[in-house]
Amino acid sequence: MTDAMLISVLVIAVLIVVTMIRLFLGPTAPDRVVALDAINTLTIAAMLLLGAVYREIIFIDVAIVYALLSFVGTLYIAKYLGGEM
Amino acid sequence: MIELIAHMLVLAGLVITAVLVFYFRDLLSAAIAFGAFSFLLALEFYILQAPDVAIAEAGIGAGLTTAIYIVAIRGTKRMEEVEE
Repeated sequence: MTDAMLISVLVIAVLIVVTMIRLFLGPTAPDRVVALDAINTLTIAAMLLLGAVYREIIFIDVAIVYALLSFVGTLYIAKYLGGEM
Repeated sequence: MIELIAHMLVLAGLVITAVLVFYFRDLLSAAIAFGAFSFLLALEFYILQAPDVAIAEAGIGAGLTTAIYIVAIRGTKRMEEVEE
């Protein structure tokens, strides 16, 4: 069971590196914002899986805080791109 | 073994984003790359089993630093000038 979760973490890490290609190539800033948001969500998924691997409850709390902050960060950049801020 | 490979992938991502911060001429893109860098750094702290440091890194890196960079870019110029 633990091995299966670690392999899932590995697959998610590979996906993060693949998403970075879009962060690198993306011709405009909005492309890069979407890539950043995808990286954030993949990171939260990896954190939840690792919390199950390590069997610690506090690790799940970190993922919750993280989800909230990633939303705020993306919102700031989107507000700037929309010209509202 | 599997954990070691995950470690190496996250560390490779850290190096890639750190290079991107210096590579981009568009300062907004550099701020976005720095956001990805701080998120991956928090994930690395997490894999090293330091959740309190990861919370602090996520709060400062994602919540505060990105917002303050955006405010600073709005107050000045978005494109970095190329020196001839």
